[in-house]
Amino acid sequence: MVVGETVNYSSEKHVKTRATSESKSTNGHSALIDFRDVEKIYRTEAGDFPALRGINLQIEGGEFVSVIGKSGSGKTTLVNMLTGIDHPTKGEISIAGVNIHELTESNMARWRGRNLGVVFQFFQLLPTLSVVQNVMIPMDFCNMYVPAERMGIAMNLLEQVGIADHAHKPPSRLSGGQQQRAAIARALANDPPIIATDEPTGNLDSKTANQVFELFQKLVDGGKTILMVTHDEDLAKRAGRTVEIADGEIIRQ
Amino acid sequence: MERLRISSQWVKIINDIWGHKSRSMLVVLSIAVGVAVVGMINNARYYIERDLYGAFSQGTPASIQIYVSYFPESLADEVEGLRYVAAAQARRDESVELVAADGKTFDAVLSAAPDYSEMRVNQIEVEEGAPAPSLRGALVERQAAEALGIDIGDVVVVRLQDNKTYELHIQGIVHDLYALPYSISSEVMLYTNLETIQWIGGRAGYNRLDVLLEGNPHDRETALTQGTLIRDRLLEPAGYRAGSILIPGIQANPGEHWAQNQVQGFILILQIMSAMAIFLSGGLVVNTITAILNQQVKQIGIMRSVGAERLQIARMYVFNVLIFSLGGLALALPLGLLGSIGLGEFAASFLNFDLTLHNLAPDVLAIEIVIALAVPMAVALWPILKGTAISVYQAIYQYGQIQDAGMGRVQRLLFRLKFLPPPVMMSLQNTFRNLPRLGFTVITLTMAGATFVAALSTRASLNAMVGDLIRYAAYDVAISLSGGANRLAVQREAFRLEGVEVAEVWTRAGAVLMNPNGSEGEQLALIGLPVDTVTIDVKLLEGRWLVEGDARNLVLNEDLAQLLGDIEIGDTLRLKIGDTTRPFTVVGIASRHLSGPSAYLPYAELAKITGRSYPADEVRIRTSLDGFASQEEQDALAVAVEERFSNAGLSDSAARPRHNRLSFFSGPFQIILVVLVIMAGLLGIVGGLSLTGTMGINVLERTREIGVLRAVGATNPAIRQVVVVEGIFVAIVSWGLVTLISPSTSAALAAAVITAVLRSDVVFSFSFAGLLYWLGIVVIIGAVASLAPARSAVTLTVREVLDYE
Ligand SMILES: Nc1ncnc2c1ncn2[C@@H]1O[C@H](COP(=O)(O)OP(=O)(O)OP(=O)(O)O)[C@@H](O)[C@H]1O
Ligand SMILES: [Mg+2]
Repeated sequence: MVVGETVNYSSEKHVKTRATSESKSTNGHSALIDFRDVEKIYRTEAGDFPALRGINLQIEGGEFVSVIGKSGSGKTTLVNMLTGIDHPTKGEISIAGVNIHELTESNMARWRGRNLGVVFQFFQLLPTLSVVQNVMIPMDFCNMYVPAERMGIAMNLLEQVGIADHAHKPPSRLSGGQQQRAAIARALANDPPIIATDEPTGNLDSKTANQVFELFQKLVDGGKTILMVTHDEDLAKRAGRTVEIADGEIIRQ
Repeated sequence: MERLRISSQWVKIINDIWGHKSRSMLVVLSIAVGVAVVGMINNARYYIERDLYGAFSQGTPASIQIYVSYFPESLADEVEGLRYVAAAQARRDESVELVAADGKTFDAVLSAAPDYSEMRVNQIEVEEGAPAPSLRGALVERQAAEALGIDIGDVVVVRLQDNKTYELHIQGIVHDLYALPYSISSEVMLYTNLETIQWIGGRAGYNRLDVLLEGNPHDRETALTQGTLIRDRLLEPAGYRAGSILIPGIQANPGEHWAQNQVQGFILILQIMSAMAIFLSGGLVVNTITAILNQQVKQIGIMRSVGAERLQIARMYVFNVLIFSLGGLALALPLGLLGSIGLGEFAASFLNFDLTLHNLAPDVLAIEIVIALAVPMAVALWPILKGTAISVYQAIYQYGQIQDAGMGRVQRLLFRLKFLPPPVMMSLQNTFRNLPRLGFTVITLTMAGATFVAALSTRASLNAMVGDLIRYAAYDVAISLSGGANRLAVQREAFRLEGVEVAEVWTRAGAVLMNPNGSEGEQLALIGLPVDTVTIDVKLLEGRWLVEGDARNLVLNEDLAQLLGDIEIGDTLRLKIGDTTRPFTVVGIASRHLSGPSAYLPYAELAKITGRSYPADEVRIRTSLDGFASQEEQDALAVAVEERFSNAGLSDSAARPRHNRLSFFSGPFQIILVVLVIMAGLLGIVGGLSLTGTMGINVLERTREIGVLRAVGATNPAIRQVVVVEGIFVAIVSWGLVTLISPSTSAALAAAVITAVLRSDVVFSFSFAGLLYWLGIVVIIGAVASLAPARSAVTLTVREVLDYE
C-alpha cells in the first residue's frame, strides 16, 4: 500500500487516506500533514510578534486531532497555516507531499477546494444562494463531477448532515446548528480527505455543538482526517488526539 | 487648539480621498464629464451667436430679395429712398458652369455688385487679393476655392448657356456669409463686375435687389407685404418687371441667418443631452458618497464617541464633496473649452464662418462653476446628513451584523431559478442586492442606450423619409431643358438614345399665392405632368390624383400644404401665374418632396395657362418600367443625355441621375447623427464609470463573501467571472429598459431633429438594428466596466477577509 501518495492538485485524483495511524513519519515515509519547523511572526507597529514558534506536527490520514490552548496562544494561526489562508514566516507545511505554500493564491484556492474542506466558526454561508447551492458551489469552482450530477450529490450530503428538508431555503432561514451542518456539507462537497475547522461549535449551544461534533466523528469513521480548534475541553478530549499550544508552541500532543 | 482640530480633520479628508484614489478619480471624472459637456455646448453656442449671428447681422443682411428686369444702379438708390427701406443693394446674378481642368463641370453663379468696397446690404468681405475684380477677373468664395483648389492667379473657365467659354482671372478670395456655402449648395460663387458680364455677352444692368427693410422686421408676413409695396409702388410703375418677393434662407425668418432655425434646434437637442449628463454625474456622486459613508459607519461611530458632533462630521464629508467638485471643475474647464472649440470650428467650417477668439465666455464659466459646485453638493447633502445621523451604539455594535437579513422581492423571485449554476446565481442575485444603487447605474446606461437607439432611429426615419421622397424621382435620369424647348423634339431626341423606354416631359411655372385681401403671399411651383405619369410614384395623403381634364384642379404636395397651414380637399386657392390670378380647387395632397412647395396639374392644362405649345421644361427618362438602372448605368446614361441634348441645343444643364437625389438629403444629417452618437458615447462612458463605481462598492461590501469563495476553491478566473457576470447582468437589465422606453424617446428625438433641420413633419421609423447593436455595446461596457473591480476582488486574500472574526 502506498502511504501518503503524492497529490497533484490539478489531477482528478484525491489524497488517499489511511484508516490506521500507527506509522509515524519516523518510519521513513511522511505523514499526510506535515508541519516542519513552522514559524509565524506578525509584524506589527508595536514590533514583531511571534504567533507560532518551531511547530512540528505530523498528522496521519484518518486522525481526528483537536487543538486547544488559551486565547491568543496561536490556534487560529495554526489552522490558517494548514488551510493556506495565511503563510508561514519560516518552515514548510506539506500535505500529502505537496508543499502548499509554494502554490499561487489561485492554485491554492483550487487545491484547497479539492483537498481540504474548511468549516468556519461563523458558518459563512453565502446569503444569496440557497443551502443546496452553497453546497454545490465548490463543485462548480473545482469542476468536480458532471454538472447534472452535482445537485444529487449535494442533496446526498445534506441528507447525511440531516438538513435535506431545508435544501432550497436561503441560509438566513436556518438555525445556527443547521447553518453549521450546511457549512459542513459544503466542506465535504468535493469529497476532500481533510477537514480543517476553527471553533466550529463556538457559536452553538452545547446540545447542538454535541450533534455537530458527532457528525465530525462519523466523518472520521468514514476515513476523513480532521483538525479541529476548540475551546471546549470536553469535546477536545473526545477527539482521537489532542494537541495543546501555549504561546505559539506545542506543549502537549 | 482650534487649528489643530481642523487640521486633523483635513488629514482625514485627504486620507479618504487619497486612500481611494481610483474611486475619487471616478467621481472627479464624472463631475468633469457632466460639466465639460455643459461647457462645450454652451460655449459653442456662444461662439455661434457671436461669430455667426453676430457677424451675419453686422454685414446688414437683406430682409428680402427681388429679381427685377435689368436695371441701373440708381434704381437701388431710389428704393433706398423709400420710407420703409433702410438700405438697398443692386446685384447681378448669372448662372454659369465652371469647367475644371479635367473637364468636370460645376454649377456656378457669376455675381456682380457695383462697388465691393461699399456694399449696402449683404456685405461680403474680401479676404485676400484685389479689393475688387477688374475686367475679365473674378473673386471666388473661399469655401469653394478651398474645395476645388482654386487660388489667386489661377485662370478658371466658365461656360455659358450658349456653350461659349470664357477665361476669368482669379484676383481674390472672398468670404460671403450671405450666400449658401459650397458645402450645402454645391454652387461656386464668383464675384465680378458688370463690364466682365458684358464682355462675356451678358446684357448690361443688374437683376437683383437686396433690401434691408426699416426696423429689420423678423416676421415673414411684414417682410412680404413691404416687399410687395416696393414692387407695386416703385418698381413696376417705373417700368421694370419684378418677380415675387423672396426671403433668403432655408425657411428662415427675414434678417436672420439662413440656418438659424436649424442651428437653434440642434443646440436645443444638445442642451437636453447636457442636462442628462449633469443628472448622471450627480447620481454617481450620490452613489459614491453613500458608499464612503457606509464604509465608514464604524469610523463615524468612533468619531462621535470621542465627542464629534453630527454636523462636524457632516462638514468633513461636505468638504470631501467640495474637493471632488473642484477637481471635476479643474478638469472640466479645459475639456469643455476644447470641446467647444472643436464643435465651434466644425460648425464654422460647415456654415462658412470664422471663430474670432477661442475663449471661454464668462457666462459659460459661471454656469460651469455653479453646476460643478452646486449639483454634487445638492445631491450629496441628504446622504451625508442621513449617514452621519447614526448613533454610536448602532455604528459600533449593530452595523454589519445583519447584512444578509433582508432579501428583496426580486431576489426572492430569482431564488426560484434553481437550475442556474451557483456562480451565475450569485452574480444574478448580487445584481439586485442594492436596488437604489442598481437603479442609478441602470438609469445611466439606459439613458445612454436610449440616446444611441434614438440617434439610429433618427437615421432610420430619415432613410424612410428619403425613401418616401425618392418616390418623386422615379426616373433613371432627368434633365432640365432650356426655355422654349419643344416636347416633340425633346422626346424624339430622347428616344434616339439606346435603351430609353420612357421619356416623360414636364412643364413648370411659378405662381404666387394671393391672400384674400389681394396681397401676395408665398411662392410655389406649378408642375404640369401627364396624369398617367410613370416617373413619380405618388403617395396620396388625402383626396385623389389628377385625371385628364382637371382644368382648375390641383394636387398639392405636403410641403405646400404645410406652408399653407389648414388646407382641406375642396378648398380654393387663388394663384397668380404671370399677370393673371385664377382660382384653383385642391383635389388631393401628395406626400412630402422637400423640393419646395409645389402643386401638380395636368400637362395640357398648365400648357394652356402659360400659353405655350408643347412646352418642355424637364424630361424624365427611364430605361425600363420595372425597376431602375444601376448607379453606374444611371451615370452613363446621364452623360449620354447631357451630350445629346446639348448637341441638339435643347439643354445645357447637367443631367441628374436618380441616385444623386438619394445622397442629397443625407449630408447635413450625417453630421448631426455623428454628434448624437458621440453624445450617446459620452453618456455610455458616464454609464460605464458609474458601473465601475457601483461594482467597486459592491466588491468592497462583499469582501467577506469573496473570501468564502476563495476558501471553497474559487480560482482567480472564477472570482473575476462572478464580478464580471454581475456587471453584464446590470448591462442587460438596462438594455431591457431601453427596449421599453426607446420607441417613444426615439420618436421624440427623430421629430426634434428632423423638424429642426428639414422644417418638416416626421415619418418615424424605429431602428431595431440600433437596439441590437446597443445590446452588444452595453454588454461590452458592462464587462469592461467591471474588470477593475474584478481585479481588486481577486487581490483580496482569504486572510484579509476573514480576519476580523
Ligand atoms: N494579523 C495579526 N497581526 C498581529 N498579531 C496577530 C495577528 N493575528 C493574530 N495575532 C496575534 O497572534 C497571536 C495568536 O493569535 P491567534 O488568533 O492564532 O490566537 P488563538 O489561539 O486563535 O486565540 P483565540 O482563542 O482567541 O481565537 C495573538 O496574540 C494575536 O494577538
Ligand atoms: Mg482563534
